[in-house]
Amino acid sequence: MLFRKMIRDIKSNVSQFITIFLMVLIGVMAYSGIESYMDGMKTTADTFYSENNLQDLNVMGANFTKEDLDKIKEIDHVKDAERKLSITALTDKDKTLLLNFIESNNISSFYIVDGEEFSYDLDGVWLDEFYAKENNIKVGDEILVKYEDMELHEKVRALINVPDHLYDVRDESELYPDRKEFGFAYVSSNEIPESFIKNKAIKEAGVSEDIFDMMMPNFNYKDHLIYNYVMVDVDKKSNKNLVKDKIEDEVESAKAVIDIKNSNSYVQYQGEIDEGKTYVGVFSGLFLFIALLSVITTMTRVVKKQRLQIGTLKALGFKDSRVLLHYMGYGFYISLFGAIFGLILGYFIIGKMFIGLEMSFFEIPNGKPYFGIQNYLVAGIVVLIATLISYFTCRKILKEKPAEALRNEMPSAKNTSFITTRGIFKNLSFSSKWNIRDMLRNKMRTIMGIAGVVGCCMLIVCSFGMLDTMNRFIKLQFSDLFNFDYKLVLKENISDDKLNELYDKYGNNTSLSLGIEIEKDGEKEANNIFVDDSNNYVRFIDKDDNFIKIDTDEGVYITHKLAELKDYKIGDKVRWHIYGDSKYYESKIIGFNKDPQNQNVTMTRNYLESLGIKYTPDSIYTNKDLSKVKDISGVESIQDINALADGMENMLSMMKTMLVLIISVAILLGVVIIYNLGILSYTEKNYQFATLKVLGFKDRQIERIFIKQNNWIAIISILLGCPLGYYLTDWLFKTAIEEHYDFGAYITIRTYIIGAVGTILVSYLVSRFLAHKIRNIDMVSSLKANE
Amino acid sequence: MKDFIKLSNVKKTYKVGEIEFNALDGVSFEIPKGEFVVILGPSGAGKSTLLNILGGMDDVTSGNVVIDGENIENYDKNELASYRAENVGFIFQFYNILPTLTVRENVDIVKDIVKKPKGTMEILKGVGLSKHADKFPNQLSGGEQQRVSIARAIAKNPKILLCDEPTGALDSKTGVEVLKLLKKQCDANNGENTVIIVTHNAQIAEIADRVIRLKNGKIESNTINKHPKEIDEVVW
Repeated sequence: MLFRKMIRDIKSNVSQFITIFLMVLIGVMAYSGIESYMDGMKTTADTFYSENNLQDLNVMGANFTKEDLDKIKEIDHVKDAERKLSITALTDKDKTLLLNFIESNNISSFYIVDGEEFSYDLDGVWLDEFYAKENNIKVGDEILVKYEDMELHEKVRALINVPDHLYDVRDESELYPDRKEFGFAYVSSNEIPESFIKNKAIKEAGVSEDIFDMMMPNFNYKDHLIYNYVMVDVDKKSNKNLVKDKIEDEVESAKAVIDIKNSNSYVQYQGEIDEGKTYVGVFSGLFLFIALLSVITTMTRVVKKQRLQIGTLKALGFKDSRVLLHYMGYGFYISLFGAIFGLILGYFIIGKMFIGLEMSFFEIPNGKPYFGIQNYLVAGIVVLIATLISYFTCRKILKEKPAEALRNEMPSAKNTSFITTRGIFKNLSFSSKWNIRDMLRNKMRTIMGIAGVVGCCMLIVCSFGMLDTMNRFIKLQFSDLFNFDYKLVLKENISDDKLNELYDKYGNNTSLSLGIEIEKDGEKEANNIFVDDSNNYVRFIDKDDNFIKIDTDEGVYITHKLAELKDYKIGDKVRWHIYGDSKYYESKIIGFNKDPQNQNVTMTRNYLESLGIKYTPDSIYTNKDLSKVKDISGVESIQDINALADGMENMLSMMKTMLVLIISVAILLGVVIIYNLGILSYTEKNYQFATLKVLGFKDRQIERIFIKQNNWIAIISILLGCPLGYYLTDWLFKTAIEEHYDFGAYITIRTYIIGAVGTILVSYLVSRFLAHKIRNIDMVSSLKANE
Repeated sequence: MKDFIKLSNVKKTYKVGEIEFNALDGVSFEIPKGEFVVILGPSGAGKSTLLNILGGMDDVTSGNVVIDGENIENYDKNELASYRAENVGFIFQFYNILPTLTVRENVDIVKDIVKKPKGTMEILKGVGLSKHADKFPNQLSGGEQQRVSIARAIAKNPKILLCDEPTGALDSKTGVEVLKLLKKQCDANNGENTVIIVTHNAQIAEIADRVIRLKNGKIESNTINKHPKEIDEVVW
C-alpha cells in the first residue's frame, strides 16, 4: 500500500521528481561521459601502442650500418631493433610526405585499415590513412614521390595507421596537423633505386661515374643503403635509460637517442589526455556538484512537504523504520533511474562524441570510450546521497511527537534576524528586509542557490575565457613574437654560396636552433637553444608581456617557466652540450624571457661564436611576399606565418564545439537550479504571499518582491563567479596544458559582461516565469492550508 | 446611512468532482455603516465563504455584493486588490502575520499599499504592543500575535474590519482583550467603522449590534440587538 502511495506522491509532485531525475541524470551523464572519454583515450592508445609494438627509443644518426644494428640488438635488454630511412619527400601534387624505407615491420607495425600486410619483397606504398582520405587516394591508386633525383611511382598497397604517427606535423612550429598537405608513407627499402644510392656514393667519393665504376667494380648498392633511424624495443620500460646510455656509449653513429615519450606524436597525445584529466576533474566535478546541490534541496523539500502524512502514518501506528524505509524509497528509486540513464547516455552520447572528435584529430584506430569502475562508484554515491537525504529529513520529522508533526512547521525567526533590525537595515524597504531575512533564514537554500549560479557563471566565464586566452596566444605568438611574414627553413647541408645568395634575396635575418641536452644535478634533459641573429624579426617578451631585447653577449636567457621548473636563478650557470658532440659548456643566465610555447635557452650569435661554435643558420626570416612561391632552392620549407595562425584558428574551432557544449550544459544547469530553488522558495512562501494578497498587495508588487531575491542571488553569484571563472581558467591553463607551454588566463571585459549578462538573463527569465504563478495563488485555500 | 453593505441573493457553488455543493444558497442582507455584526453558525454553514466574498477574496456564483454603493463583483483583479487595501482589514484565527518581519514592520507593511495609513507606533500603543515593537512574531504569545494582526488591520484605517474566528485560538481572558480592541475600532472614526465577526461562539453575539445566523448556506435569522451588552458584562 505504501508503495502505491509513493507512486501517487511521485505523480502529484511530478515536476520536482522530474527535476531530481534530470539532475541526477545530467550530473552522472556529464561525469561518466567525460570520464569514459578520457579513459577511452588512454586505453585506446595503450592498446594500439602495445598491440602494434611502439618502439621505446628512437636512435638518430647520419647512417646506421648493418653492424650498428647488430651492435644495438646485442645490447642487454634490447628485445628488437629495426632501421629505417626517413626523408621528407614531395609528391607530384606538391604535397609533403614523410617517406620511410624499412626492412621489416615488427616495431611500430602497421594497423591495416584497408589493403595488404607489409612485406619486404612487395613493391608499392603503405600510405597514411588520413592523408589518403583527405586527398581521395584509394588502395590500388598510384602515387608519385620525388626526393632529390629519386622518383618513385608506387601503387598504394594499403592505408595504414602507425603507433608513432598519431599526430604528425611537417615541422614543430605547426600546431595543427594539416592532413591534406602532409602525411606519412612507408615503402620497402627494397624499392630504393640503385641509381639514387650510387649517385650519392659517387658524390661522396668526389669522382666521376666512370672512375667510380673502376674504383668499385663490385659495388652492390644494397650494401650502401642509408638508414638514419633505428627503432629500439626494450624488454622492460625500466631498462630504457640503461639501454639509452649503452647505445650512446657504444654506437658511434648514434647522434641522439630519444625516448619515445619525448617524440612529438606521443607528447601531443599524452598532452591531450593530461589536459583532459584536469577538465574531467573540474567540469565533471562541477556538474556533479551543482546537480547534487539541487537534488539535495529538492529532496529535502519533497520529504518536508510530506510532514503531515508522516505525522499521520506515525499516528496510525507505523513504526519509524517502516516510515523511514518508505521515504528513503523516494530518493532511492528516482536517483537510481536517473543514474542508470545517466551512465548509459554518458557513454553513448558524451563518451562516443568526444572520442569521435579526438579520433578525427589523432590517427588511431578503434577509438572507443572506456567505462571504468569509478563511474559506477560515482553513480552509486549519488544514489546513496539522494537516499540519505530522504532518510535524514524524514528522521528529523519522525523525532517529533506525532501531534507536533501533524501541525505544519512554523518558520521560526532566528537570532540572525537581529542584525537586520538595526543600522542601515532599519531603513530598507519592506521587501528588502523581507528578502534579506528570508535568505538568512533559509541559509541552506540560499547558499545552494548561490553555489549553483556561481557554478553556472564560472562555466560561462571560463568557456569564453579559454577562447580569449587562445586568441591572445595567437596574437602574442604570431604577431608580437613572430615579427615576420615568412620563415625559410634551410636545408641541413646548404652551401655557403647558396646561403649568400639567399641573404641577398631575402635578407640576413637568421636564427639557428640547436638540439641540446641540459645537465642539472646529474639529471639530463633534452632541450634546445635558440641562437638569435634575426635583427628583431623574432622578438622577445618578459613575463609581463613587455618587449625585451636579447642583445647581451655575456651569457644566455632562459624562459621563466624553465627557470621555475628547474630552479634556475639569474647568475646561475646552465650546463649543456650539443647533441652529437659530448663537449659540455657552462653558460651564465643573464635574464629570463617568456615564451608561450617553447621553454628553452636563447643566446645571441656573438655569444655562440665566443664559445667557439660555428654559427650556421637554419632559418631565414623575411617579409617578402612569398605567397606564390612554392619552392626555393636550398630551402627545405617555406612557412607562412598567416597560414600557421590560420591553422591555430582551425584548432580553436574544434575547441569551440566543446565550449558550446559546456556553455549549454552550464546554462541548462543554471536554469534548472534557479527554477528549482524558485519553486522551493515559492512553495515555502505561498502562504505569506497569500497574506500579502489579502492585505491588498497587487500581483505585480508581490512578483517584484519575489524576483528581487533571485536577482540578488544572481548578482552575488556574478560577483563571485567572475573572479572564480578567471582563476579556474588560469588554473586550467597553468596546470592542464603541456609543460612546454606557458600562458596564463587572459580574459577580456567582454567575456565578463557575457558571463554577467548571461547569468542575470537566465535568472531573470526563470524568475519571471515563476513569478507568474503568483497570479494563480488562491488566497482562500492558501490561508486555509496554513490553519 | 443605510445599505452600506448589501447582499442580494448571493450563491456560491463549489464543484467537487461530480457533486455540486452550495456553500451559500441565496443569501441576502443589508448592514448599515457603523454596526458591530456577529455572524453565527456551525461549521460548514458558509460563514467563512461569506467573509471571503465580503473581503473580495472570493467571487460569487450568482447574486450581487454591493459595498458602499459599488458592486464589487464587477471589479477586476487589480481593483479588488485596491478594494482590499483601501477598505478592508482582515483578522484571522491564526493571525497570518509575516514571521520574518518584526511587530513594527508587520504593521509598517501597509505603507506600501495604503496612501494614508495611521501612525504605526500610535496603533501599537493602542493595542498595548509598543514595548514589543522590535520583536519577531515567534517571540510573542498567541494573544499578542493576534493583536499584531489587529494593529496591522487597523493601520489601514479600513471602513470594514472582517474577523474570522478572531478569538478562536485564544484563552478567554485574552479573547476578551481582543474583542475590546475590535469594539474600540468599531466605535472609532465617529462610529462609522463596520466590524463583522464570524464565529460559532454564541456568547460573542451578546455584544453585537446585529446577529446574523447562518445554516447550510442560508440565513436562518437576521436580528438587531436593541441592547447589546458591554463586553465586561458577558460571562465568558
